[in-house]
Amino acid sequence: MWQLLQIELYKIFRRPRTYIAFVAVAVLITIMQFGLKVDGQEYADFMLQSLGNFDVQGKLLNGYMVCYIVLQLMLVHVPLLVTLISADLISGEANIGTLRLLMAKPYSRTSIVVSKFCAVCVYTLLLLIWVAFLALFVSVVIFGKSDLFLMKNEYIVLIRQDDVFWRYGCAFCFAFVALITVASVGFFLSAFAENSIGPIVTTMSVIILFTVLGTLNLPVFQAISPYLFTTHMVTWKEFFDEKVNANNEALAGTLQNLPHIIHSVIILLIYIVVLVSATVWVMKKKDILS
Amino acid sequence: MQQVVQVTNLSKHYKNIKAVDALSFTVNEGDVYGFLGQNGAGKSTTIRMLLTLIEPTQGDIKMFGLKLNQHRKTILQSVGAIIEKPDVYKYLSAYNNLNLFARMSGIHPTEKKLMQQLEMVGLKERAHDTVKTFSQGMKQRLGIAIALIHDPRLIILDEPTNGLDPQGIADVRNLILHLSREMKKTLVVSSHLLNEMEQVATRLLIIDKGKKLVEGTTAELFDPAQTLLELDSLNNTEALLLLQNSAWQTALQPQRSNSLLLKIHRNAIPNLHVWLVQQNIKIVSLQSRHSLEDYFLQVTSSGQHVAAFTN
Repeated sequence: MWQLLQIELYKIFRRPRTYIAFVAVAVLITIMQFGLKVDGQEYADFMLQSLGNFDVQGKLLNGYMVCYIVLQLMLVHVPLLVTLISADLISGEANIGTLRLLMAKPYSRTSIVVSKFCAVCVYTLLLLIWVAFLALFVSVVIFGKSDLFLMKNEYIVLIRQDDVFWRYGCAFCFAFVALITVASVGFFLSAFAENSIGPIVTTMSVIILFTVLGTLNLPVFQAISPYLFTTHMVTWKEFFDEKVNANNEALAGTLQNLPHIIHSVIILLIYIVVLVSATVWVMKKKDILS
Repeated sequence: MQQVVQVTNLSKHYKNIKAVDALSFTVNEGDVYGFLGQNGAGKSTTIRMLLTLIEPTQGDIKMFGLKLNQHRKTILQSVGAIIEKPDVYKYLSAYNNLNLFARMSGIHPTEKKLMQQLEMVGLKERAHDTVKTFSQGMKQRLGIAIALIHDPRLIILDEPTNGLDPQGIADVRNLILHLSREMKKTLVVSSHLLNEMEQVATRLLIIDKGKKLVEGTTAELFDPAQTLLELDSLNNTEALLLLQNSAWQTALQPQRSNSLLLKIHRNAIPNLHVWLVQQNIKIVSLQSRHSLEDYFLQVTSSGQHVAAFTN
């Protein structure tokens, strides 16, 4: 199994296509950081303007806030980059004809499929670490540290700077689970195809469909919304909601709705387990005709 | 002699299509087992079942005396294969592809061993070039190196000469002979190129529409009394007249081209040669026609399922 995982990782990281995602992330984050560095103050002023008479002391546009802005935008697009790899893992091999060679080797199909999935997990983790490095560490270096000021739909959150870092750590861990869920969808679909275009497009279509269904304010769709993985993918933002006491004062080091976060993680994990198990089952039954 | 492959009553059905139908055959150690059939006859399906790529609908496969469905891992460690096209990772070099597939086969070859293997198939000079720059023939040779890197006892080559130029076909033929005669490997080689198979195979199986037509050694499949002889001379009209008025008259066959055709016993060919010279016929060529091709066309088009030849 370890041998197979090494082989899969070797194949992934020897392909030039793999690095497109890393370059794309770097370019996107750099552009956002550049924009915020040049015009960030205007953006912050505009944000405060909508609050009316509100006096803020300290550095509003700091590295933590930039990271939050970047993540809000990036975590919509990173699933696409992960899908490019996960949806190609089986179908891509079928397309170039190496799947039959691989499946004729003295390893069980379960080992081969699971090692491929583990490889995509490693790839996703590395991509997320790269995002974290650029979005958080580089932003902190460029914009400095201060308290995190966030404007949510119905309220404002102010988190002390010494209470921010662990929240980002948890948010990135959560994002990892969410991205692996998307990867599982692409991985599952790739078991049925003989080129990677179909699974990639279908995975993106599923994400768009589920997102639309989850946001449509109609009772019929709201009933299924809690079961859609896209509904739970945005739960990472809840790591930036604090509990408040009776005097409406924020309590440092707390999370407002930890059970809901755990619930989302469980739903996502169920998706992962079901989809990967289904992929193994399909591949064990499948006649390799490519 | 040990049976390396023993297939019993093997079938594969896709809905109403019988791709392979109750096929049984045996490959002995040291055989170059030619697996012949027209396109769509069921050769590739059978080979994929031998490699566990396709699940049989029914039947039993044993290799090295072990049941394939129970000892898959052990058996596949001793099998090397090229399945149709020699597809490898085009973004990797020949060396890296070979190393990768060696590890997939459970071995960790040294650099020296890898280079030796590439040298054997004539790719040493291109070892570190990416495969996307390779010709079809070079990819085929790399495929063969990959099939052999873990020193398998049984080598399965499915249409190994597909897409190759004449030189490439000759190279593959020589390699098969080398593997069989020098390295004492057992080979199963599928092809629809009859003359190629005749030159390398020690035993042949002809299948059609998924069913076995005949199985046996090359010698067993041909009746020497029915050897077809093609005669070409400087004056074929004169030669024809002489033959029609001689004892060879009954051997004459309908002409398919400008040459004359005779069906005679193989042993009678020298006598005919002498007689023609005595009649002052200026012979340009006298050669026995490819009997396997005729035989193959005869058995596959007649639809008769001839009982298997046995030793």
